[in-house]
Amino acid sequence: MTNVTKSRPLSPHLQIYKLIPTMLMSIVHRITGAALYFGTVLVAWWLIAAASGPAYYDWASWFFGTIIGQVILFGYTWALIHHMFGGLRHFMWDMGYGYEKEFSTKLAIASAIGSITVTLLLWIVGFIVR
Amino acid sequence: MVELALPKNSQMTEGKVWPKPAGATNTREFRVYRWSPDDGKNPSIDTFFIDVDDCGPMVLDALLYIKNKIDPTLTLRRSCREGICGSCAMNIDGTNTLACTKGMDDVKGTVKVYPLPHMPVVKDLVPDLTNFYAQHRSIEPWLKTVSPAPAKEWKQSHDDRAKLDGLYECILCACCSASCPSYWWNGDRYLGPAVLLQAYRWLIDSRDEAKGERLDNLEDPFRLYRCHTIMNCAQTCPKGLNPAKAIGEIKKMMVERRV
Amino acid sequence: MDMRTPLGKVRGLGSAKEGTDHFWRQRLTAVANVPLLIFFVVFIMTYAGAPHADVVAALANPFVAVVMALVVISALTHMRIGMQVIVEDYVHAEGIKIVLLMLNTFFAIAVGGLCLFAILKLAFAG
Repeated sequence: MTNVTKSRPLSPHLQIYKLIPTMLMSIVHRITGAALYFGTVLVAWWLIAAASGPAYYDWASWFFGTIIGQVILFGYTWALIHHMFGGLRHFMWDMGYGYEKEFSTKLAIASAIGSITVTLLLWIVGFIVR
Repeated sequence: MVELALPKNSQMTEGKVWPKPAGATNTREFRVYRWSPDDGKNPSIDTFFIDVDDCGPMVLDALLYIKNKIDPTLTLRRSCREGICGSCAMNIDGTNTLACTKGMDDVKGTVKVYPLPHMPVVKDLVPDLTNFYAQHRSIEPWLKTVSPAPAKEWKQSHDDRAKLDGLYECILCACCSASCPSYWWNGDRYLGPAVLLQAYRWLIDSRDEAKGERLDNLEDPFRLYRCHTIMNCAQTCPKGLNPAKAIGEIKKMMVERRV
Repeated sequence: MDMRTPLGKVRGLGSAKEGTDHFWRQRLTAVANVPLLIFFVVFIMTYAGAPHADVVAALANPFVAVVMALVVISALTHMRIGMQVIVEDYVHAEGIKIVLLMLNTFFAIAVGGLCLFAILKLAFAG
């Protein structure tokens, strides 16, 4: 006897579900979180470099100053800011507010625009101060 | 490891293109998921054309047009045709909703119709909801009391009754649960938005005397805490309810009883 | 062949009767992270590319050293329990899941150990 229930196909999910702002910001929150997770290695490296003495520190500094280093740092800044904005949305939800359909969509879009804007501003300020 | 792609037997192929109805001047294209347990083939997407001038305005009308006039083997659940039974829940135009309350006019271009996402398919648009119903059963969705039953009825103030608004309207159509990625990946252990909204409906009922046990049964990394506030549930509910908020309120209760 | 009833499957091994502590710690560290990481970003922006001596002097300041250590502890706790959720979401094979959850903790402790060692060395030995 063939097993009828076992041969049933799984209906399509990610393949067909319409991507909406709240859904997208949720997965971006997770992706930025995971990026920050592995990025802590860079923080540890920088601190160790500072603790190791001038020669090694200068080398680490040089790396962060290269184009690749700068791109990584820019991405890291954005990930941090975006994850923080996503976290603020979670605080609001945890306190019982902001679940309305339209509002949550607007807030999802706002958090994306906000994180990019703040990241750019921080880097512009950083370059001006330098 | 979670499977983001569809298993081999579930991958969709291009299906049959059915001829346009004879003499129709105003047609609408429908792309409908088909699968039959009888032929051993993979699911396919059939293309139908319906005569808009000879059909009601809702997606359900169009599906019944197809069943009555083009292909009688098209299989779907439907009953009330007015959004109160929850039978015709399916994925239309990328979101889960009830075919009977979804107007064709709300969809731009071709109307794409799939069964509720990430469910075993019984046939065509009919998903197997056994697990979903068992999960509903597991939260014991009935009034639980210890006090002796009153002579007439369990009384409830107007204010306490008002707390059930936005919860009692749930028709258990499973649109929300089947829209939730967390439920897709962990539907065997995560109760999902619909069942958690039902759980909250009993937690917040002033007449119920089993709040603590109910919370005990929900307090679990998977049963409750797989909710990551993705918000698909609230966005998709065809009754305009907010399961995400109900789950948020359960989490607040969990914290409240220990701090 | 699985002949358990649907309800039997759903009830499974029962409720773990926990998860709220995890939820609470995630939020607690998240709240702490907001001011701590703003401090961290400002600090990095101020000292990025600065000469070694300046950075060492800054990190030798007791206030900076203590806050830096708190940044490390709070952020690593937060990310460890965050990654735990990701693993639980996507990895379903019990054996691999347990190995990954252990590695997750080891990673957080290793990074934390290195960071705190560096901070303490800079604070006490320059």
